[in-house]
Amino acid sequence: MSERPLRILLSILGLDQHEAGAFAVARLLRDAGMEVIYLGRFGTPERIVDAALEEGVDVIGLSCHSWEYLYYLDELFELLAARGLDLPVVVGGSVLSGDDKREIEAKGVAATFGPGAGAEEIVARIRDLTATRGAA
Amino acid sequence: MNHRMTQSGIPLEPFYTAAHVVGEAVDTGEVPGEYPFTRGRLASPRRREAWIHQELSGEGTARRSNEQFRQLIARGARGIDVIGDAPTMSALDPDHPLARHAVGNTGVSLCRLQDFEELYADLPLDELTVSHSLPPGAYAIAALHRVAAQRGFAPSALRGSTILLPAYCEDCSYQIHMPYELRMRLALDSIEFAAREMPRFHAFLEDTYYISDGGLDAVEEMALGFVEIREIVRRLVARGVDIDSFAPRIAILVNCRMDFFEEIAKIRATRRIFARMMREEFGARDPRSWSCAITAHTSGLSLTLAQPVNNVARCALQGLALALAGVQAVEISCFDEAYRTPSHDAHMVSLRTQQIVQLEAGADRVADPLGGSYYVESLTDEMESRILAMVEKIESMGDLGELCDGGWFRELFQNAMTRRARAIEDKSEIQVGVNAFQLADEEDTLLRAASESKLEPCRERIDEIRLFKDRRDRGRVGEHFARLREAAAAPANLLPAIGDALEAELTQGEISGALRLGVGAPYDPLGMMEPPL
Repeated sequence: MSERPLRILLSILGLDQHEAGAFAVARLLRDAGMEVIYLGRFGTPERIVDAALEEGVDVIGLSCHSWEYLYYLDELFELLAARGLDLPVVVGGSVLSGDDKREIEAKGVAATFGPGAGAEEIVARIRDLTATRGAA
Repeated sequence: MNHRMTQSGIPLEPFYTAAHVVGEAVDTGEVPGEYPFTRGRLASPRRREAWIHQELSGEGTARRSNEQFRQLIARGARGIDVIGDAPTMSALDPDHPLARHAVGNTGVSLCRLQDFEELYADLPLDELTVSHSLPPGAYAIAALHRVAAQRGFAPSALRGSTILLPAYCEDCSYQIHMPYELRMRLALDSIEFAAREMPRFHAFLEDTYYISDGGLDAVEEMALGFVEIREIVRRLVARGVDIDSFAPRIAILVNCRMDFFEEIAKIRATRRIFARMMREEFGARDPRSWSCAITAHTSGLSLTLAQPVNNVARCALQGLALALAGVQAVEISCFDEAYRTPSHDAHMVSLRTQQIVQLEAGADRVADPLGGSYYVESLTDEMESRILAMVEKIESMGDLGELCDGGWFRELFQNAMTRRARAIEDKSEIQVGVNAFQLADEEDTLLRAASESKLEPCRERIDEIRLFKDRRDRGRVGEHFARLREAAAAPANLLPAIGDALEAELTQGEISGALRLGVGAPYDPLGMMEPPL
């Protein structure tokens, strides 16, 4: 296994302007030794997939404070498949209810983090996800 | 909450005595309604009518939102506060490619004069307070002014407010992609226009709510607010505008978090700081210029997705704090706030909470009921000195525009957000149901279904706006587009040109684009749309 730190792309989709969660997560991932490629607000599936390819990231992270992600996720998965990218997509955000988590996990989201998810939990889940893939 | 200090970090004694109070409110026998207004704007209960009860509202189309307003008014609301959806709040039209999943599901979709006509339809604009949480403010003012004229209301009768957000919006929640000087210009033009045309309207509403609800503490909230107020006042005075022509209509929209006494002290300190600043530093002579109106929203950040019924208790406490602090208008966030813009049921609970605080608990029967409390007076003094120290620190660092463009505030917001996330994680800040007394997902059912209903995006609105744009008089649109572009580069007040453009069927997105082009910025900040020519 390489010594390279994990690279996580973080973005917020559409016109969702709330960045609070994304900042906090970016910082906690960096504190855990990961590299964060912060794409910021106004993300689109195209921009995210382009950046994921260009930056060679290990995980795509989406932060949400509106419901736009629900509609963009299908587009994102289609685009990832079309470009032959098999990357775990994780979603965290203040508006993720239990039902929303189940719905998007069924669509293929690898992990979800609702409000109140702790730093350790987030870091551990992301490490797990990438480790499982590395071993596969 | 840490038991030994307030949320903003003010250390606390086990109890308070006269020895802890250094400020004037107690020593000088200050009474409510007198300078420096620590104890409130007005003294007499007869003149001091209860605060305006309003609730943040707006969803889908303007017509649907108008229905919502009328229902709220029928149930006792005394003002309305319009919230736009994400495209509206970003000054983009519904047909913008990035708006496709965001139209009407987090607020009302507004982009044309016709939308404002439908929004205000049948509302008594000469009696009702119409507040607008619609940055950059200039469009709502221009639209309200035109609609009132169409319907025969004197502009001088219009009451309400708009948020302007010139300094911090690009870094916190409401990015409209305009350069600092253009944002500031729109704010100054709006205030000057309203002072002349709509003298009862609060165009100068300093919104400290949105900057603080990312995690700033109460001291930071008010320090940033005062820095922005001071810059706007200086700029208006430098234009030759008489301070007493606009200062009586300055209002501050504050946040109200869960730290009960600190929030009350913050509001009392804010009134005192404002009064001294306006009279002693800026030389305002009209006593009405010394006492600012305070309006408040209860903190959305303090409300939780987990155990939504707990939010009802939080909102009642915050409403009580605001009543005790003495404010002019209140908006209580709703129990579904963590998930969505308020549903009909959630609106009702918040409105009824306000009515119960006022009419059953009688919290506003006397002015400043906590005045003279050793603790509250001491905390008021401490808030005042900490806010002033931070204002001085920020101003000593240089020009506000340069600080904004240089990212100083952005970093402050980021740090505050991270600090807050850590405080929840390490439990130095307790949220019942989140990091204490949690319930398993399957047990957490009370009010859950009512809190988690979703709004679908209003996709038909996108087609409607596309069709509307295609059917317009292209020559007239082009002419006004060019005129706005030129106006952005010339000194005259922009509000009349914006009003004319709205009447010529230009949209907010197009007006914003023309103004951006006029100051050398790209038409579409996201690079996805072309000018309408």
